Amino acid sequence: MKKRVFACILAAAMLFCLAACGGGSTETTSPATDAPSTDTPASDSDVIKIGHIVHMTGSAVESGGYEKNGAELAVEEINAAGGVNGKQLVLVQEDGKSTNQGSVAAFQKLLEDDEIVAVIGPSPSTQFAAMIPTIDEAGIPVATGGTNYSLTHSDCPWVFRFRPHDGFSAQAMVRYAVDELGATKIAVLHGSDSFGVGGYDLVAQYLDELYGMEPILDQSFNNDEKDYTAVITNIKESGADCIISYMAMSPDVGMFATQRLQQGLDIPWIGSPSVTAVAGRELAGEALYGVYAVSDFHVDGNEKATAFAAAYEEKFGREPDFYSAWTYDAIYCFAEAFKNAADLEPESIREAILALEDFEGVEGTYNFDENGDGLDAYYIVVNNENNIEVVTKIEGNR
Amino acid sequence: MSGLAILGQNVFSGIAIGGVYALLALGIALIYRSTNVTNFAQGDITMLGAYALYILLEQLGLPYPIAFLLAIVVMGIFGWLFQRFVYYPLRNRSFLPVIIATIGAGILFQNVALVVFGSIPRKVNPVFASGGFTVGGVYFDLQYIVILVVTAALFVFQYLFFEHTSLGKKMQATAQDKTMAQLLGIPVALMIAFTFIYSTILGAIGGMLVAPIYFVTNRMGSTLGLKAFAACICGGFGDVRGALIGGIAIGLIEALGAAYIAPVYKDAFPFLLLLVFLLVRPQGIFGEKVSEKA
Amino acid sequence: MKMNLNNPTLREKFKPSALIAIAICLAVVVLFPIVVTSRYIVNLVILAAASGVAALGLTVCLGYTGLLSMAQAVFYSIGSYAVALCTTRMDIGWWGGMFLGLVLAALMGLFLGFASLKVSGRYLAMVTICVQVVFALVLMNWREVTNGADGISGIGRPWLFTELDDAQKFCWFSLAVLFICVLIIWALKTSKLGRSMRAVRENEMAAECLGVNTLRVKVIAFLICGVLGSLGGSLYASGFLYISPDSFVYQNSVDFLSMVLVGGTDSAFGAVIGASILTFLPEALCDLESLYLVIYGCIIIVVIIFMPDGLWGYVDRFMRRFSKKKMLPEVKQALAVGECDCDEVLHIENIGMHFGGLKALDGVDYAVHKGEIHALIGPNGSGKTTCINVISGIYTPTFGKVTFLGEEITGMKPHIIARKGLTRTFQNLRLFSKLSVYENVLVGSQRAGGSEEEIIDRALAAIEFVGLKDVAYEQCRSLPYGHQKLVELARNLAGKPKLLLLDEPAAGLNESEKEMLGDLLIRIHKMGLTMLLVEHDMSLISKLATKCTVLNFGEKIADGDVDEALTDPQVVEAYLGTKEVSEDDA
Repeated sequence: MKKRVFACILAAAMLFCLAACGGGSTETTSPATDAPSTDTPASDSDVIKIGHIVHMTGSAVESGGYEKNGAELAVEEINAAGGVNGKQLVLVQEDGKSTNQGSVAAFQKLLEDDEIVAVIGPSPSTQFAAMIPTIDEAGIPVATGGTNYSLTHSDCPWVFRFRPHDGFSAQAMVRYAVDELGATKIAVLHGSDSFGVGGYDLVAQYLDELYGMEPILDQSFNNDEKDYTAVITNIKESGADCIISYMAMSPDVGMFATQRLQQGLDIPWIGSPSVTAVAGRELAGEALYGVYAVSDFHVDGNEKATAFAAAYEEKFGREPDFYSAWTYDAIYCFAEAFKNAADLEPESIREAILALEDFEGVEGTYNFDENGDGLDAYYIVVNNENNIEVVTKIEGNR
Repeated sequence: MSGLAILGQNVFSGIAIGGVYALLALGIALIYRSTNVTNFAQGDITMLGAYALYILLEQLGLPYPIAFLLAIVVMGIFGWLFQRFVYYPLRNRSFLPVIIATIGAGILFQNVALVVFGSIPRKVNPVFASGGFTVGGVYFDLQYIVILVVTAALFVFQYLFFEHTSLGKKMQATAQDKTMAQLLGIPVALMIAFTFIYSTILGAIGGMLVAPIYFVTNRMGSTLGLKAFAACICGGFGDVRGALIGGIAIGLIEALGAAYIAPVYKDAFPFLLLLVFLLVRPQGIFGEKVSEKA
Repeated sequence: MKMNLNNPTLREKFKPSALIAIAICLAVVVLFPIVVTSRYIVNLVILAAASGVAALGLTVCLGYTGLLSMAQAVFYSIGSYAVALCTTRMDIGWWGGMFLGLVLAALMGLFLGFASLKVSGRYLAMVTICVQVVFALVLMNWREVTNGADGISGIGRPWLFTELDDAQKFCWFSLAVLFICVLIIWALKTSKLGRSMRAVRENEMAAECLGVNTLRVKVIAFLICGVLGSLGGSLYASGFLYISPDSFVYQNSVDFLSMVLVGGTDSAFGAVIGASILTFLPEALCDLESLYLVIYGCIIIVVIIFMPDGLWGYVDRFMRRFSKKKMLPEVKQALAVGECDCDEVLHIENIGMHFGGLKALDGVDYAVHKGEIHALIGPNGSGKTTCINVISGIYTPTFGKVTFLGEEITGMKPHIIARKGLTRTFQNLRLFSKLSVYENVLVGSQRAGGSEEEIIDRALAAIEFVGLKDVAYEQCRSLPYGHQKLVELARNLAGKPKLLLLDEPAAGLNESEKEMLGDLLIRIHKMGLTMLLVEHDMSLISKLATKCTVLNFGEKIADGDVDEALTDPQVVEAYLGTKEVSEDDA
């Protein structure tokens, strides 16, 4: 009998959950208009809503937190300075759950709100790629921080990228490796995910285009690999004099860095931005000292970046990273575009973003091309005893 | 680097990781023998063991031996809870619901760990700080050596315990024939609880041993568990020698497959081999009946 | 199938809970896309429908047939990739892609099906896990075909009288597909095949000995499982318009498993309920952030522990309380047994059965003649049950020859022997314990073939004959032991047997039950059924048997009339002289 009662309660609870479905997006910094008025056109309202897909659960929760903070900081600053054309910005956040399905569902949920005029997407490229068909159908400007080349090259006019894509990072790494480090035999180490495989293709392409060289080794591995013995022995055997890596996950960076030194693989290494991420540095410690990386954001990169870092640290008590930088820039760019646009129709906003010229952001200077790519430069940084220092800045050829 | 050194390096790491698979597989095998339950949550128990060590060692700053022993005690209690709330209510049902319940428990553990510890990987310091040494071009990581030594010690302990102590003999009797054990006045339920506690501890020790190598994340256990399960089957379910040999075989196959064929298919090699094994010689290395009793 | 409402299986199908569920489903299918226009909800519904179709595959495989598969995401990916590749790269179109997916999934299903013949239970689970892990890695790394981790976007949607190009229309299409699949799977449950499947799930050996080709049934189950998984995948790909390998990993297979378990494995509606709940639950709980995953894990454990039949099982039981007590249809004909046109029904020549060094049978021969009750007796361990097992095809004898009605049956599969009219009972009951008495007997009745109506008529006659009419709709496991024995008898009688092997029918019965059983066997005998009876109870033997063969240590020591055999000095010595304590060889 007890069981039956329990089962009954459980069933009721489940039904209740189902019924409750549909509500539940978080709106932040909303000063007025709690009641959503779906039938009034967006431009008549006295707020401007920007959707934000943040990973609040799942594996990308860490970077999601940075993205959320960056966007919130920008909205707060803009609103404190009087908003956009007298209207306050409102950020509507949805959980992307770190999955493809979750991200698309979150985007569709945001689309339900007619007042949302632009959306900031999630960073992981795969999840953004999953959203592109829906974005294309919806016809609304969406910002991305995914660096996979194809995101802005898939015939969807609504995607705007607020970080330089992997083509530029590949160029920067290849140039630095060959010109500055004098590398002739470059091994490319990359994850088998979209980011890693795309990165390899671009490195190979630019090695060929710029120097007529080929990578000496194409070494891929699956994310979450624990034992890099096979990878390390392969690199050693290839006789490489430089490693270029595209690794997405910090634990992988940490493990490879440690095991590489233990097994005596001590050649120059230029990595994708994850090599400088705090999590990877904490795991690997000294093993990452002296390692180069490309980075699209640096605290000392420009004045705005320094100011942003100070404000960020004051508000959240820790240093910002590129995840918070690009969402911060995206909000500012959107705000600027809202100011310049004739109205808040998607087409007008799109044109206004494309028309931005030399817009100074914390990541760099934005000039959007017709594909929606705003940035083209990467810093080469080096890990100097756990301080990330800028070595040089390499502008890419678009 | 010479070809021999490369081979040596990969064999060494394969055997060491295989040792961890063997510990987990042993836990699975013991539970299987005494209760006929296949514990799919063993991998996630490993993960919890690693977190337990992380808290005690890194957050509370206890010295290694104390942290290690305390973590074992904590995980032992956890093992009891696990059998009380997952196995016990289902003890009279067929193998299927129990398997599913352990899978569900695994999902639950992973997500509780995610909520409590977040998704940042945690670092646990190795037992010996000095790292390792190189002989003949092969790097011997001390932590890997610790893994091998502890695994060997546990297998010896296991043998002595089951063959030469009264508790061990009672546990073995329970595993072999529950009804008979009951008639002989052995407290069967208690023995099963002991088995779960012991198996949980084995899994947890596995987790503590790999923690410095793997870093501790909430998902660290899922592939570990699957491979331990595969090791179990390779060696013939429920056979102690089988668990050891199966574990090391799986470790070696994936290390060598990764080194000489392709690292991206590393996880595929042991499972592919197991597939062939199951279809061609389903009884495992040490022969166990495979089809469920009709 | 004739739509005759007097047809009891049809009436069984149209029980109120099922009817209500169908009505609700139909209403949802028709109304949903009209009423709800939110893209967000519509997409979740497409997702739930796609998962539901795939979960239905597990209903057949796990729920009906009892085969644990943890590779449903493999089938799902086959359907998804087939549609994705055919609509983006090969220009074959959605339907072409879907059919291609079905064919490939069917092949994969066949593979797993044949694997299930080799291994079962947790080993089968491991086979499916292996396939899942390897397949996921191939999807990820075989970039030439699958486009690797980048996935495939721009997937097309089907044409069905009109381009189903917007989500609304596709949602309607998905729900319609789901509805059709649910109906088919629901109808399958009480069909001949469905009954065979569930018989295999409950007791494989008994099913085999009742003429069910268990191998074929298992392969078909995996085939259906694969085809539905693939179909679901096709819907998913077109609903989502983008697929990548990370949606088809081990974790996703576990998700599908959770769906059928939460909803209830034994019913098509369970799969739909499970799929809907597990699709919508994360969305409903998303305010709880990470906690929702904890709740998700809890729900699975709690449901498994407290609701073994899942949510639908619970609803079903609840609704059944309000429906009228079912009445068995009228019996239209009397019980009949098979006609033997040969006097020597069974002939065993020089049979030997060795297990390694153990000679359980060593050169036994005897014959059973038409119309006899032939007793096979002997002390424990003398090889009686082994003999029955050899005759019914469970063991292939080491040497010797078994002839049934003039035809050699040595080494044939049990189900083939059973279909020839040779049927048996088991010493330790082997009922399909979660099926009703009626369904148990229907499975037995299927063996003799004929239309569904004939099967039903025979089953009813058998139930009437053994006097279990009042409990016909009860689950077997809830019956007292004596009744269970009768179910087993009825199950054998319903299939027009020509020879009935009884393996210790009186074991475990009390005196009055034995009395009843004896009378029943005499009635059966009077109908002209030949029987071979293994029994320890001498009173029953002397009451029933007309001929007798005595075995000891795997050899025949006496043969002939009962009285004669029992007084044979060798027999007396076997029973009294050397006291056997070894266990019976069953």
